[in-house]
Amino acid sequence: MTQTHIFTAKRHLVEDFNAAQEWFHSRKWSDGLPVVPPTPDLVAACLDWALLPAGHLIGVEPVRERAITAEKVAINAVMAGCLPMHFPVVVAAITAMLQDSFVLHGATSSTGGCAVLIVINGRVRREQSMEATFSALGPTDRATMVIGRAVRLVLYNFLDVRPGEVDRSTLGHPGKISYCLSEDEENTPWLPLAEERGVPPHASAVTVMAAGSPRQILNEWTTQPEELLDTYVAEIKASMRHYSIWPGNYAIVVPPQLRTHFDVAGWSKADIREYVFAHARIHRREWAECGKGAVVAEKGDREHAALVSPDHLLVIAAGGPAGGFGAVIPPWFGKTSQAVTMAIGACVDCEI
Amino acid sequence: MTIEFLDPTHENASGAFTLAPRLNTLEDAVVAVISNGKKGTIPFFDAFEHALKTTHKVGEVVRITKFNYSTPVDASLLGDAERWHALIAGVGD
Repeated sequence: MTQTHIFTAKRHLVEDFNAAQEWFHSRKWSDGLPVVPPTPDLVAACLDWALLPAGHLIGVEPVRERAITAEKVAINAVMAGCLPMHFPVVVAAITAMLQDSFVLHGATSSTGGCAVLIVINGRVRREQSMEATFSALGPTDRATMVIGRAVRLVLYNFLDVRPGEVDRSTLGHPGKISYCLSEDEENTPWLPLAEERGVPPHASAVTVMAAGSPRQILNEWTTQPEELLDTYVAEIKASMRHYSIWPGNYAIVVPPQLRTHFDVAGWSKADIREYVFAHARIHRREWAECGKGAVVAEKGDREHAALVSPDHLLVIAAGGPAGGFGAVIPPWFGKTSQAVTMAIGACVDCEI
Repeated sequence: MTIEFLDPTHENASGAFTLAPRLNTLEDAVVAVISNGKKGTIPFFDAFEHALKTTHKVGEVVRITKFNYSTPVDASLLGDAERWHALIAGVGD
């Protein structure tokens, strides 16, 4: 049933579709790509799908105390190309990003230039025809592309996270356009990421992580789980040496060819996390080998682990069927921001 | 065909913030400066403190450094705030 929404957003009138594009781009209300004009009927359709009134409070950005309403999120979701069915996923991602442990302002303003990685689990993936196989970290399908872009446009337009404004990234990376993937739950015996992180088995969920760009690895010359993980670990250690030594959430993406070897050997995601936790460690003195000797000082023998605990590793099943490739996705800046998992449709701080 | 659409921005909704009362002079005032804690800010705020004292005749400069430069200042650092006439939040890298 369609609700009658009372919108508080200002209304603008333009001559036609092209004029709307120029309106958005000239005001830096877009990321540079064309947008869908967020007409009241399209915005209302998103809100109706999610059964949310326009004024529903999604959360409050804590640094500037800015209240984010369903209406404003829906407007930006429409602009990004979202259909109504995509909107609840965007709401869940924004809700997760507003949890204190995510440190939204720091993660989106830092010179470190991370983006918000969004991983989607559950039935919603199939309902929305998400693809988790070929080019899993690229533009695989409509849903993941527009959901990731919607999150970015909310940051742009509602929190001023535009390059040179709140976004102070030195470089940033392409994930700032859209950094969203679904997990390939059908082709693995592993538990889905969200379920491992406490979401009930039949619920759909998002996991958000303040993340650097993916770093691709390759090892198709072994079937031994330990050796495969040594390649992932080497990439994690490289990130610790070249970027940041501090422990935080790392994500690893494991495509089918590599997963086969873990499956044959009976390795679960938990086994992988334990191995990586034990081995992804460097000594501070290694910084001297890559030009950072100035900050080693007398602490050269100090050992630094990549992970605070095994649970800080996010293991994601995704990727095309062939190729011994994988990816490591490093954290923005140690444990300053922590990954958050949120069930889609979950109510945070609701009065029941 | 004309198109009517809704504004995607915050429309200058600034939460609970309001401007603090302005001071007529900084002379003999107590001015607190909150640094985000990055090392590169130290020489900048040293020079800033010097300018406050010499150019603006500030009586005392209180230097505060956040525990985490990515999060709002911890309330425990603001316990003495009633004594301050002005507070400047500094961001640097």
